[in-house]
Amino acid sequence: MALSAAYVSREAATNLWRNRLMTAAAVLTVAVSLALVGSALLLKQGASKATHLWQNGVQTIVWVQPTAGPAQTDAIQAQLRQSPYVKVCSYKSQAFDYNEAKIVLPPDELAATAQEQYPASFRCVLNDPSQAPAVYQAFHGKPGVFDVKYPGQAIKTMQGVIRVLQWVFLTVAVVLLLSASVLILNTIRMAIFARRREVSVMKLVGATNWFIRLPFMAEGMVQGMLGAGVAVLVVLALYWGIGLNQTNAAVNTNNIITQMSLSGWEVFGTCLLVSIVGVGVGVIGSAFAVRRFLDV
Amino acid sequence: MITFQNVTKTYKGSTVALKDCSVEIDKGEFVFLVGPSGSGKTTFIRLLLREESPDSGRIWEAGKEIGNLPKWRIPYLRRNIGCVFQDFRLLPNKTVFENVAFALEVIGRPNHVIASQVPQVLDLVGLTKKRNNLPGELSGGEQQRVAVARAFVNRPLILLADEPTGNLDPTTSLGIMQHLDRINRMGTTVIVATHDAGMVNQMRRRVIELDRGIVIRDQAHGVYDLDSDTLAAGAGSPTGALVEQFPTADIEDEASTAGSAVNPSDPSVSDQTMARP
Repeated sequence: MALSAAYVSREAATNLWRNRLMTAAAVLTVAVSLALVGSALLLKQGASKATHLWQNGVQTIVWVQPTAGPAQTDAIQAQLRQSPYVKVCSYKSQAFDYNEAKIVLPPDELAATAQEQYPASFRCVLNDPSQAPAVYQAFHGKPGVFDVKYPGQAIKTMQGVIRVLQWVFLTVAVVLLLSASVLILNTIRMAIFARRREVSVMKLVGATNWFIRLPFMAEGMVQGMLGAGVAVLVVLALYWGIGLNQTNAAVNTNNIITQMSLSGWEVFGTCLLVSIVGVGVGVIGSAFAVRRFLDV
Repeated sequence: MITFQNVTKTYKGSTVALKDCSVEIDKGEFVFLVGPSGSGKTTFIRLLLREESPDSGRIWEAGKEIGNLPKWRIPYLRRNIGCVFQDFRLLPNKTVFENVAFALEVIGRPNHVIASQVPQVLDLVGLTKKRNNLPGELSGGEQQRVAVARAFVNRPLILLADEPTGNLDPTTSLGIMQHLDRINRMGTTVIVATHDAGMVNQMRRRVIELDRGIVIRDQAHGVYDLDSDTLAAGAGSPTGALVEQFPTADIEDEASTAGSAVNPSDPSVSDQTMARP
């Protein structure tokens, strides 16, 4: 088949230039929607990474009754050491906890409690953070135990918020992708209309259907690709711009964003996916236009 | 080369375009297709181009039956058929050369073939000097010659012309007919659907007359119609002076065929057998 790449690219380029305003609109819509898809993917990857970090970093705290004697405290410590869930435990005295509370609690609440009324605590790191509820079950209500706290609920809420955000991003992105396909479809339709004389002559002299169709399909594909290119730039700008490229060694626990840091490969994967979706949207939009409006 | 066997074509809305039409056209023939508007001439051409398919009956073209040709084969069929229309159908933003080259380009002919074929065929229609002009800069006759060149550049087996001189004055029309005639002498089968009585009467080629979709006359060396007024008008037309350019026109032949073909319903008037061999 002598369907030369040179011919197809020349025709597609001519069409794109002739129809540049519509092309720009289609490319921008593809770009915006794909940038959203890319951001949603980055958010998802970052969030799962950060959650993992938080869970491993959090401590399950067993508060000891202020009234408990040293014997009871030792018994709790022994039980914690034997627990299959617990990796390490460290004892913090009433004085330590009271000092910590000075930072955390509002002054009036603090004034109502004296250091002697404040509980000592065991700060435990678990083998598997998701087993915190089992530790709670094992120690809550035991003699000398004041309370068992683990931040599972907070993490769940955080994950929930991120999940909702992802869905919002993805829904908006899908709607935008649909409108991008329609825009591409319309651009190709206009290109077909602008070239109806050529097309009728081509049919008359026996050009094959694919010979007639391919330049239009290539045009749609290029629009998708250009949009994807812009979206990839946005994703990369996000990655470098807000510091998602921090290595794990530099993770700062006070900064959510550095906790969401991603590797170059993960970002590369996201960019690849964005490009594929972009090309796909272009091809699908133009394929519909060609099927519907190019009667060959 | 072309065989219609009991072909019927009806368009939606009940108009019968062709009714039980059987025609045989041999390789190298030059045939005029005449008849009033709506008689089925254009349908005949469209069927040959496979722009339509028949409701019933069978059509053979260049040895192949085309009625049930799969859709993807149609472009290859059309590469064997050149086509010229009343409205030229040239691309206004391409030069004469590019217009003719386009026909080869879009069927994937390599550049060296285009570079050798296009000048040849432009020379054939006498447009070598205008090869870099746009169609808008040419006269109607010149534009139609470009269209003829485009139709012939791929050396088709068959050349179809639907009212090729409909927009042209008689002298210019004659020029176009001369080009079609020359192409015919090179071995291409030529079929011309026309209203141009003067032209048909001068050329004296086979005439197939259609009326409301029925072949009512099929006559070798025929005239446009059998009304003597028209014959006289044809002889008196401006192109009449050029009649000697077509030596096929023979007075004796005219008298015998015109006299014998008066009854359209009698198949014996036809000097072509309509049955398929």
